[in-house]
Amino acid sequence: MKNILKITIVLVFLFTLSSCWSDKSKPNYQYMPDMYKSVGYETYSENPNYANGMTTQLPVDGTIARGKVPYDYENSNEGYEAAKLNSKNLLEVNEANLSNGKKMYDIYCISCHGKTGAGDGILVQRDKFLGIPNYKDRDITEGSIYHVIMYGRNMMGSHSSQLTAQERWQVTMYVQELRTELLK
Amino acid sequence: MSSHYEAPIRRPLIIGDKSYHDITVEVAAPVEGKANKLWWTAFTIALLAFLWGIGSIIYTIGTGIGVWGLNKTVGWAWDITNFVWWVGIGHAGTLISAVLLLFRQKWRMGINRSAEAMTIFSVVQAGLFPVIHMGRVWNAHFVLPIPNQFGTLWTNFNSPLLWDVFAISTYLSVSLVFWWTGLLPDFAMLRDRAVRPFQKKIYSLLSFGWTGRAKDWQRFEEVSLVLAGLATPLVLSVHTIVSFDFATSIIPGWHTTIFPPYFVAGAVFSGFAMVNTLLIIMRKVSNLEAYITKQHIELMNIVIMITGSIVGCAYITELFIAWYSGVEYEQYAFLNRATGPYWWAYLLMMSCNVFSPQFMWSKKLRTSITFSFIISIVVNIGMWFERFVIIVTSLHRDYLPSSWTMFSPTFVDIGIYVGTIGFFFVLFLLYARTFPVIAQAEVKSILKSSGENYKLHRDAGGKNPAPTVTKSAINVKTETVVDSNANKNSLLGTLGVFDKETQTADDLKLISGVGPKLEKTLNTIGIYSFEQVSKMTDTEYDLLDSILDSFKGRAKRDDWAGQAKNLKK
Repeated sequence: MKNILKITIVLVFLFTLSSCWSDKSKPNYQYMPDMYKSVGYETYSENPNYANGMTTQLPVDGTIARGKVPYDYENSNEGYEAAKLNSKNLLEVNEANLSNGKKMYDIYCISCHGKTGAGDGILVQRDKFLGIPNYKDRDITEGSIYHVIMYGRNMMGSHSSQLTAQERWQVTMYVQELRTELLK
Repeated sequence: MSSHYEAPIRRPLIIGDKSYHDITVEVAAPVEGKANKLWWTAFTIALLAFLWGIGSIIYTIGTGIGVWGLNKTVGWAWDITNFVWWVGIGHAGTLISAVLLLFRQKWRMGINRSAEAMTIFSVVQAGLFPVIHMGRVWNAHFVLPIPNQFGTLWTNFNSPLLWDVFAISTYLSVSLVFWWTGLLPDFAMLRDRAVRPFQKKIYSLLSFGWTGRAKDWQRFEEVSLVLAGLATPLVLSVHTIVSFDFATSIIPGWHTTIFPPYFVAGAVFSGFAMVNTLLIIMRKVSNLEAYITKQHIELMNIVIMITGSIVGCAYITELFIAWYSGVEYEQYAFLNRATGPYWWAYLLMMSCNVFSPQFMWSKKLRTSITFSFIISIVVNIGMWFERFVIIVTSLHRDYLPSSWTMFSPTFVDIGIYVGTIGFFFVLFLLYARTFPVIAQAEVKSILKSSGENYKLHRDAGGKNPAPTVTKSAINVKTETVVDSNANKNSLLGTLGVFDKETQTADDLKLISGVGPKLEKTLNTIGIYSFEQVSKMTDTEYDLLDSILDSFKGRAKRDDWAGQAKNLKK
């Protein structure tokens, strides 16, 4: 009887220990994964039905989604000039817009352009790359700022996939405020 | 000490001139002998039904509950019908062993062992259904309140289905313990009688080293009484909880306060009927007619009659309340039962449950074994339909006429039910061949108060206790040797003559199936040694049968020659 007890204790101990030796590079075992895997296609899941194997497919060119306003300026020097002159920020300048602009700026812009917009972001300080201009050195308007966030320019890439139209205008508003500070 | 007083009006519970040893031998005989063809046939049929049931269960779990005849309206039908039916059947065993113990009913002793076995085996069948009717059987452990990684996600203790889990599991475990403690002295008896080492080992393990000291017996009695006291409320509460599955719902036809006592009465009713069915067969097959007497059958019939009347009373009460309530849904539910598409089920239930037990008022009918046997089966058919009617007729037509529908079972529903019946009989048949089917220790305790010869002795003015043979009882089975010298001589011709001068006689009682009386009879024929017995073949068995009045075929069935060969070594 005592032996049975001892053997049981040892077996339970070994069984418990066995969880330490599992293969951590693989997902663990599952007990009856009834609804663990989605029957429908999840956004970023693989999809064997499409040639590129992705569930997310591009919309047809020229279609407009409800609640979205297309940006009418081309991604070219002419477009840049036109936006610089004509594109206007329709958002009201207020605390809410500015604070969200700062929030977005601190996420997406700060690493290159720096906290004050002086072109001294952390990547520049670490010599990762150079050539980030100071906002005060450039002649920029709200239209051109928005245009550059939208399409990118030279070394800067487009940020239109990270920021919504409203957020882009809020960032524009905040950049303008930084520029005013720098010009003082 | 004045002599024992028992009212002369009481009829004997043990028929014939039995001694303690006779009881031992006769209870042990089915265990020690070999199974006959009838047993193997019954066992094979039961096993096939069981396997068919397993197949149906595997098919259900593998494919889904949709293979049953259930639909969106009738979500419970055969599964829960069978569940309640089996639980109900299981109630008689505990009632017999616990309630009748509390009421000091001596007649329980002949039947309680088998009744409890029946309880255990039918609760096992019942326990299958709550599990297999789940859509996701593999998550069944979630019904238990176990600390877990879902932020200790707990069960809701408001559902009678959860109470069912506790009720059934407690009931099964308490019944099992109660049954097993009662078995200890009997297993010890088998252990002490066992000749072959394997049997000796097995029964030594099963009897937990029972030695039958005074202290053991005193505690044994106390434990039995305490367990009986615990089991009695358990019997009542278990089936009450099962009835709550329906009574606590809002379905017209289910939402009734009468269900708890009415279900319990129905359970006792169907359980006793099942005990009757089984014991009527068993007393015959295992030659236990001296212990399971006509009086036992009659008393069980009386219980069936009483509980059947309670059930009938409940039916009338339900009908009255339905009319009296003024609730049109309630009224329609009962109108639908009587005149709806399932009228035949309602009629079957009514005729089987209300009318059939009323025949028991007639002494002639209730003391008839054949009639009791038929009624006991009729009652169980009726009680199955009672559960079916309550469940299905209430569900298939309720509040919204747009959800009215019908139910018909599929072969899988039926297959699982047949499978549980098969499983039940597999267990019961195995039990009947390996367990002492009569609580011999208990029966021995009433031998001198309720044994036929002792009663006759007392009635004739004798002091208690009586010696084994004083006055011969009316139907005492004594072995009379037919004086057929020719047969005797030809028998001894092949077996060899035993010479008392040079040889010593063997203890023939060691052969299972041979008691002291039979040994004497064999001695008078001239058979004294294992050597002689071991030479017996079919012709010798036949010769022996022609010499001996009763015990026809027993020598062959028990394989005396084979046993003697083993004993000779």
